Parts: sequence; C-alpha cells; structure tokens
Amino acid sequence: MTCSTNNPATRRYMWRFLATMLFYALFLILAVWVFVHFRPTGVLAWLLALLPGLAIVGQIAVFGMYLAEEKDEFVRNLQIQAMIWGVGATLALTTGWGFLESFVHLRHFDLVLIYPLYCALTGISYGLVRLRYR
Amino acid sequence: MLCSYNNPAQRRFVIRMWLMAALCVLFSLVAALVFRISHPHGVLAYLVAVLPALPIIGALVYTGIYLGEEKDEFQRNLLVQSLLGGTGGILAVITAWGYMVDFAHAPHMDLVYVYPFFWVFAGISYWIVRARYR
Repeated sequence: MTCSTNNPATRRYMWRFLATMLFYALFLILAVWVFVHFRPTGVLAWLLALLPGLAIVGQIAVFGMYLAEEKDEFVRNLQIQAMIWGVGATLALTTGWGFLESFVHLRHFDLVLIYPLYCALTGISYGLVRLRYR
Repeated sequence: MLCSYNNPAQRRFVIRMWLMAALCVLFSLVAALVFRISHPHGVLAYLVAVLPALPIIGALVYTGIYLGEEKDEFQRNLLVQSLLGGTGGILAVITAWGYMVDFAHAPHMDLVYVYPFFWVFAGISYWIVRARYR
C-alpha cells in the first residue's frame, strides 16, 4: 500500500499511521487484559484507560504532520475541505444525538465512537470534494 | 460591538452566530417547557428534542458560508487553521475521555458538550495561530 504512492509526505504518513494503529491495537489489548485479570483501581486504572486514547491522539498528530509536510497545495486543500465538512457533520450529528439523549433518553452514544464517525464522514466528504474538481 | 468589524463578511458572520445562539437558547427553553408541561411521546418528542440542535447546525452552516464569503485570504487561513486545531483537540480529548469512561468508569460526559468544547479548542488554536504570525 505504502509503495503505491510516489509522494514522500503520503508515504511517511502511511508508515506513521500504521505505527499508531499497531500501538492502538497493542494498548487496547493490554488495557483489556489488565482490566479483566487484575481489575486495577485509582490512578493505575486511569492511566491504563488512557493508553488506547493516546494512540488515537498520536494518529491525529500524525495527520497534522502530514498536512504540514504535504507540498502539493491542491491535495492539501482537498484534505482540509474534507476535514472541515467531516467535523461539521460530526458536530451536527453528535449535538442532535445529545439533545435526543437528554430529552427522549435515546441510547447513549459511546464517546469512543466519535473519532471513527468523524473519519467516516471525512472520507465521504473527501470523495464528494474530489468529485467537484473532476 | 458590531461597528468594530470593518470586514462585511465578518460582520455578517458575527450577526448570524449571535442570532443562532439566541435561537438555541430560545429553542432549548421551548423544548424544556414542552417536555415539562405536556410530556410528548413518539415522533413529536423526537422533533421537539432535536429543536435546540437546529440553530447549532445553522451556526455550523454559517461558519462554512463565512469561509466561502471571506475575501481576506489571511483571515480565512487563520480560521481554517483554528478549525483544524479545534478538530484535533476535541477528537483527542473526547476519545481519551471515552476510554476512561469505558475502562475506569470516569464521569459520563454529555454529547451536547462536544460542540461548545470544539469552539473552546478552536478559540485556543486561533489565539496560538495568531501569535505565530505576530
């Protein structure tokens, strides 16, 4: 996958992204394993719970680095437009769902699902923004 | 306050955002009153519950419109960078918090706070980005 692009910024991004995904899987498995077997409490529990989140924070930082390193202004502009549409749609959906939770006791939307939701919406937006430039 | 904006796009943006904020307060009050007084059920309950989210969606749309209308490329770039900073900040915090809720039983965070926290992070980013250009 990483060999299919000649763009060095994209290639670096792919490798960094893969590394953060690997850390995410490792940290998640580690956190689940420790919580199932040792049931930690207090500060240790909080630190362990933070681990998978840190990998996601790393993933967000990696994307920020990609945007800074991308030399192709057109591609960067496409990504930025897609991200803005993605965050707009995510905020609209989470706010709507939040009010439904508060008033009609709709099923609670897990906070960890917001990041994948944002990624999915940004991906859809990227496809649509690209279509506009064809 | 509005007289301090010489830029017509900014002035329109500020007026529209204040209007949406006022509508959000009004619709929240209406929804709360309707639920307290008449206890609606079914589709009506869903419609009333989602009412306060509509001005927030409007504010998001107006932010997009402002980005389209802003002629000053520097100002537009500042806002875009702030929005990206806000996106990264809110996604990082919300994901980390989500894992702490799931694993370490941290206090539950209401979804309706995602939107205001996004703007807090976008505001901090705006300040940092502006400081970089001084």
